[in-house]
Amino acid sequence: MVLSLFFLPSPSDTGTTRLRRLAVWLLVLVALAVYGAFGRQLFLLSTLGTVFLYVVLTQAWNILGGYGGYLNFGMVTFFGVGAYASAVLFQYFELSPFLTAPLAGLVSAVLGLLIGIPTLRIRGAYFALVTMIITFAVQTLVLDLPVTQGALGIYLQPLKLSPLNLERLFYFLFLGCAVIVTVLVYAIEHSNFGWALIAIREDEDAAEIVGVRTVEVKWIANGIAAFIAGVVGGLYAQRIMYIEPTGTFAFDISLNVVLMAVIGGAGTWQGPLIGAPLVLLVADALRVTVTSEVNRAIFSVVVILIALFIPGGVMGVWTRWRRGSKRKPAGAP
Amino acid sequence: MLDHLAAIISDGILLGLIYAIAGLGLSLVLGIMGIVNVAHSAFIMLGSFFAFELFRRLGVDPIIAFFLALPVFFLLGTIVYRLLLIRVERVSQSQGLVAMFGLMVLIENLSTIAWTTDTRVITASYTNASLVFGSLYIAQVKLIAGVLALVLTFLFWAFLRFTLAGRAIRAMGQNRDAALSVGIDVRKLSAVMFGLGIACAGAAGVALGMIFPFSPNTQVQWLAWAFLVVILGGLGRVANTLIAGLVIGLLQTVCTAFLPFDYVYLVLYVLLAAILVLRREGLTLAVKRAI
Repeated sequence: MVLSLFFLPSPSDTGTTRLRRLAVWLLVLVALAVYGAFGRQLFLLSTLGTVFLYVVLTQAWNILGGYGGYLNFGMVTFFGVGAYASAVLFQYFELSPFLTAPLAGLVSAVLGLLIGIPTLRIRGAYFALVTMIITFAVQTLVLDLPVTQGALGIYLQPLKLSPLNLERLFYFLFLGCAVIVTVLVYAIEHSNFGWALIAIREDEDAAEIVGVRTVEVKWIANGIAAFIAGVVGGLYAQRIMYIEPTGTFAFDISLNVVLMAVIGGAGTWQGPLIGAPLVLLVADALRVTVTSEVNRAIFSVVVILIALFIPGGVMGVWTRWRRGSKRKPAGAP
Repeated sequence: MLDHLAAIISDGILLGLIYAIAGLGLSLVLGIMGIVNVAHSAFIMLGSFFAFELFRRLGVDPIIAFFLALPVFFLLGTIVYRLLLIRVERVSQSQGLVAMFGLMVLIENLSTIAWTTDTRVITASYTNASLVFGSLYIAQVKLIAGVLALVLTFLFWAFLRFTLAGRAIRAMGQNRDAALSVGIDVRKLSAVMFGLGIACAGAAGVALGMIFPFSPNTQVQWLAWAFLVVILGGLGRVANTLIAGLVIGLLQTVCTAFLPFDYVYLVLYVLLAAILVLRREGLTLAVKRAI
């Protein structure tokens, strides 16, 4: 089989232990699905819908950022371009974003390649900084171009559903996307492609010497991430039914994605599943007592501490703890 | 028409001088220490608020604030170095980047708590005045800020060129190990270097605050500008940074004058992409952290 070339057997795990670990996540998934079907609290459904949206974005970021070590500080660009692609297609051709979301993904992926071709040839932090600059460039463009109606924004047609059913629809839509993308990232983690990305992160020169086509691998990873972000961007446009440049291209979204990945554990498929709910739910819980700025300040301190002292975030701590409990730790990490 | 052109060019040069000092600190820290200081623009924003508070509370003129900012931000920079950068230097580049990113977010949000997200301006006595040369009008405040920027650039150049510390810093940028083995205190000089970079950011913030409105949550766009200057000018060279700043300032004013929309970002991005493709060997060598 061709696939067996790409999916390597994991040396340390036997089938049953892996199954047991996956079972926990499957249980969570079933619980979420049950809640989605029967839950009646509008607020909770909507918050969880947003959590799933961020899980998708963070997983997409994780492919190049977590495994490949190339940090994208402009994830919102792909997301916003996707949202606008869908909205513009609706505005001029009356096409529902549900149909055009894949198309929005393609538009984002093309943009991703356009950004990636010059910047991903270069090592180091240039990619990170350019992605940030691009966000402003695209935002300015959207503000100025006649097609996007500038600061006026674009209204989309409301769906004929009760508020509860509407939230439920997007709850399941984003949950579905999150599951698909997580499975994809899991597959990447256990494939040659994933190992190529990890090799790039660890030592790009060495990776090149052993025959990894580093530049192409980075382009593809960035393209996939852009595609995913574009698709959920299109769906998001339909969810909020009105988009305008400032909110759709808010730098905060890029920021949240990086925070979530780093806190949960970048470079693991579980990281975004932990990071996104952790950041969003804690932020929601804190919102009653402190402002969002205080909140952000606290999270940024946490991120600094994690980056400097706890590489791997929550997942890093978890794996080290598990290893430590199995056998005596071999000195400091 | 000719007057119009002269106005565009003089405006571009003055803005360019200010962009140059906005990029200077970033370029030196990246070129010599190998650290991408993503928080650079946050310090620029702090510089603007430093001038704003001095002006509002004590009536200190922004010109004086510009020079006051240098020691204050130098001190701030060395403190940040001792607390954070020492550890950033030890971890991998992407982890260091995340940490610096966290610092940027922290400063931005602490500033938002202190000053809210309102857009501020500094209105000194000369803010709206213009100098007239024949039929050419030059905004006085831009002239002042531009001259201050030029002075600062010259000071930096002279410091790196003629003083012993400057020479040691350049040696450190070329080869850290060799510098260490001839008896240069690399750790101490790194602190000085980072302090200088932040001092430069603070002073640039004062100059930018004299001309542009500012608020805590728009600071990131200055990072984009500073970074453009760095990419165009290369790393760790004062003169090149100055030229790069001038080019970008001129490009901006020319673009805004002749293009129908605010396409300046797009033009600059195309420029950026072209430079990244053309100069990638040189950049790769320079960006690699000194081993």
